[in-house]
Amino acid sequence: MSPYRHSSFWGFIVFNIYVLVSGDGGNLTASEIPPLSSVVLSSAVFKPGLGSVLSLNLLSSFPEDLEISDYCSELLHIFGQRYVAYVNCLVPAARPVKVCQNCFSSYGSLTEIFSNISSDQVGPGNVSCRDSLLRSDRLMLVYELYENLKVLWEKSDCHNCITKGFQNLTSDTLHFMTILNQTLTCFEQYQQKNKTELCTNCKTDYKNLNVLYGGMEKNKTMCIDIEDAMNMTRRLWSKNFNCSFPREETVPVIAVSSFMLFLPIIFYLSSFLHSEQKKRKLIHPNRAKSYSSLMNIQDNRS
Amino acid sequence: MANITKKVSWSSRADESGATGEGTPLLNGSEQPRHSRQLSEGRSIFQIGRLSTVDLEEEITSDEDSLRGRPKEIPHNEKLLSLKYESLDYDNIENQLFLEEERRMSHMGFRCLEISRWVVCGLIGFLTGLIACFIDIVVEELAGIKYQVVKENIEKFTEVGGLSISLILWAVFNSAFVMVGAIIVAYFEPIAAGSGIPQIKCYLNGVKIPRVVRLKTLVVKVGGVICSVVGGLAVGKEGPMIHSGAVVAAGVSQGRSTSLKRDFKIFEYFRRDTEKRDFVSAGAAAGVSAAFGAPVGGVLFSLEEGASFWNQMLTWRIFFASMISTFTLNFFLSIYHNKPGDLSNPGLINFGRFETESVAYNLYEIPLFIAMGAIGGLLGALFNVLNYWLTIFRIRYVHRPCLQVMEAMLVAAVTATVSFTMIYFSNDCQPLGPDHTEEYPLQLFCADGEYNSMATAFFNTPERSVRSLFHNQPGTYNPLTLGLFTLTYFFLACWTYGLAVSAGVFIPSLLIGAAWGRLFGILLASITTTGSTWAVPGKYALMGAAAQLGGIVRMTLSLTVIMVEATGNITYGLPIMLVLMTSKIVGDYFVEGLYDIHIKLQSVPFLHWEAPATSHWLTAREVMSSPVTCLNRIEKVGTIVDILSNTSTNHNGFPVVVQVAGNDEPAKLCGLILRSQLIVLLKHKVFVELARSRLTHRKLQLKDFRDAYPRFPPIQSIHVSQDERECMMDLMEFMNATPYTVPQETSLPRVFKLFRALGLRHLVVVDDENRVVGLVTRKDLARYHLGKHGLEELQLAQT
Repeated sequence: MSPYRHSSFWGFIVFNIYVLVSGDGGNLTASEIPPLSSVVLSSAVFKPGLGSVLSLNLLSSFPEDLEISDYCSELLHIFGQRYVAYVNCLVPAARPVKVCQNCFSSYGSLTEIFSNISSDQVGPGNVSCRDSLLRSDRLMLVYELYENLKVLWEKSDCHNCITKGFQNLTSDTLHFMTILNQTLTCFEQYQQKNKTELCTNCKTDYKNLNVLYGGMEKNKTMCIDIEDAMNMTRRLWSKNFNCSFPREETVPVIAVSSFMLFLPIIFYLSSFLHSEQKKRKLIHPNRAKSYSSLMNIQDNRS
Repeated sequence: MANITKKVSWSSRADESGATGEGTPLLNGSEQPRHSRQLSEGRSIFQIGRLSTVDLEEEITSDEDSLRGRPKEIPHNEKLLSLKYESLDYDNIENQLFLEEERRMSHMGFRCLEISRWVVCGLIGFLTGLIACFIDIVVEELAGIKYQVVKENIEKFTEVGGLSISLILWAVFNSAFVMVGAIIVAYFEPIAAGSGIPQIKCYLNGVKIPRVVRLKTLVVKVGGVICSVVGGLAVGKEGPMIHSGAVVAAGVSQGRSTSLKRDFKIFEYFRRDTEKRDFVSAGAAAGVSAAFGAPVGGVLFSLEEGASFWNQMLTWRIFFASMISTFTLNFFLSIYHNKPGDLSNPGLINFGRFETESVAYNLYEIPLFIAMGAIGGLLGALFNVLNYWLTIFRIRYVHRPCLQVMEAMLVAAVTATVSFTMIYFSNDCQPLGPDHTEEYPLQLFCADGEYNSMATAFFNTPERSVRSLFHNQPGTYNPLTLGLFTLTYFFLACWTYGLAVSAGVFIPSLLIGAAWGRLFGILLASITTTGSTWAVPGKYALMGAAAQLGGIVRMTLSLTVIMVEATGNITYGLPIMLVLMTSKIVGDYFVEGLYDIHIKLQSVPFLHWEAPATSHWLTAREVMSSPVTCLNRIEKVGTIVDILSNTSTNHNGFPVVVQVAGNDEPAKLCGLILRSQLIVLLKHKVFVELARSRLTHRKLQLKDFRDAYPRFPPIQSIHVSQDERECMMDLMEFMNATPYTVPQETSLPRVFKLFRALGLRHLVVVDDENRVVGLVTRKDLARYHLGKHGLEELQLAQT
């Protein structure tokens, strides 16, 4: 997944630059100018880098009213920069997952610029960039790019760990991080020595962490960073250090359960031996006595 | 069947080593031809008719001797017909009162009747849905508390040691709940035990099962179901819903409650067996529909089980009741789940939606499905045979209520123990899913962040386990877990069914089937290299569930539709049908369906669709009871009271005759009167003399008969003074003047057909001069059945 996203992302970036330079790739198809549209179509087939070079030549050929305003292209430019910044931040934070704590500010600025673009406020020069940038073509590139990252953000539940307005990490998160660090340092401290010592000495820290995590889980104040950190710690604890509970009370469990299983046998035996068997009284109904019927039976048999 | 009785006869004491109960009375097809005088024991029933003349008695003395030496008491077995069951009076009594009332009723009146039928059906659906909703919510809440407490306890003791205490806690919890459920069933209303489907089947067949549709039964049933499901038994709450629906229907349609002594003075016209039975079929349908979210399946269930008397309007009304019921449940559950208006919980069990890619099945999978059907049939037959032996043992030895309660508690404790041991020793750990499909994940010795996979199957209400088997991702269960689970749950469920708790067998069957079906799917995927692409385990779990359920209950059309509706997936219609067909064919080869077994074991005179084959040579003359106690058209009160009080002949219908003057010959038939009518007449003292003296005496109306319905007072409670005994009673007005009659030579299948199709209770056999020679009742017909050795005859017994 991640390498794929990676490459497609670079594709987006490069394509983005092309759009920035060419300005209005989408409008062309709508404007129905035969010679131009053919050029643009061919340019779409070209490698992006080449295309951007080619389209530089086309820039001046559009009529004034179809081009986007300077204001909008400025916005678009900023959007691109922030987009790149955010993605640059995301990729190194993929493993171990730190996408929330590392990149929340760049995501904040990205949403800010996008909300600027998408607001219906009229900027200088009496133009609204929403229509021209977001929905004047089938591709709706800016929108799609932003939407992808937004989905990513929502999937990672980062909003649970970040205060309103992308100011800071929430206090819960910070608290969790400190406890986590405590636990990890404890792990490090004893790692070289005896494993059983680690299990006993770090137990309180680890347990605190678990309790805290359980509480956050219940309150739904978790983001992917915390989940991942917790998962890793748990794996360390149970798999690497082997501190899970051992199965050591097999004998009492077997004893109790075999006692339980023995009870029904006693019950059925005793009820068989001591209970009075239920009898049914037969009743003889009145039937017509006729020889003919018996003869019938005889006939039938022979 | 006969050799099964032999196998269990180890349980009988030495004295009845003769095993007289075995269906020996073979009327034909017996191995060696015998002379009529040396009849086998069973057939000698024929010989001791009271009509027998003197010389005849002399002829059969040797037989009589052997008869006297033989104990008249036999251990309970399946070849008996109990006297306590009577027929419903489905046939309309067309007496003069009835005709009068009909004349008085306006056209508008009939319109109103039709409308009130619809209203009643709507109410039935609504109330059934409410009851289902109530059961669901209470079970969910209580089970939630129980599992939470046990889970916390287990977590605590995993850490500090002492898990055997958690085991005991769990067992005690289960036993306590089950004890409550078993006590109310065993001590207050034993008829509420089990799923209730066999009883409702009998009721729709036309058998009046005592107390089956009473309010008390409903209360005990609902309470019992909640207790047994929360008590962690291997049971479901779906089967009892059908019974509950039927009780609701029988209650609502009468517009009063005899138990609560409240009469709302509405729906008085419906106070008779004919109307009540139609409503009961609607109630059963509403119950099915609420249980599975399958309105069409409910209608078809009623059709399959009690379809003798159907018409298009009735079907449509029943469908209406079903729809209302599932809608009501849906609506109230949506409020409970804080999503009012979101109608996505159509039934008590929700199979969940099968997603599109797992829906697809391929042509080459159909043989696999059919093979699964065969496995289901085999396992179902095994289940039924085991349960049959167990039930016989229970009827014979575990019949005291205190023993029944103890047994139920033991089963509950053992269920908990087995589950705990399974979970304890399971090494199957799975990572916790992101969306927490597991309600109560147990970690035990698994690594942190993982849960015990065995616990999702055992440490859960059975409905949830079924759903997780259907829908969890491939790889959630490992094959060993599933195999062990199937094995233990199979025996637990088999052991549980037939306990004195009210609980159904649908969900356990589905669960067993889903478990081995999923196992089948996993193994299939592992043996085929490219298997993982098409062998979605959830799909095979569904097919396995259908096969197992079909193998146990042997329902056909209705079960197919119920499964299709419950999964909400019409694409699976064909495979489910094939699976159910195969499992029925395979299972029927070995043993009958579970419900039929239980009906037989309760000695119910159940009439099947057809008379047994090879019975055409039997005529009404051999089938009928004779001589018949007849009443004169104008009869002395004393005689009537004596006849009714005679406990040895608890007759219910009496042919009314006109005596040909001074003749010993049986008199000519002119009508038929029922015990219930006579009792009402006696209660109101409708005597000829009194009518003469008191001219102002109110004329008896049909309403008076209806008011006494359905619990007519026993004859002992009616006081008749010595003077009144000398009075006369004119039955002319009250008797059914045109009873159905057949000539003596009518063959058994013909009589049977008449009985089954018209829902008769009494059929008078007359000779060519319209003189009464005998009376055919349900028990006379139901005693013939086709056994292993040809036609066999069941014996009548007092139970």
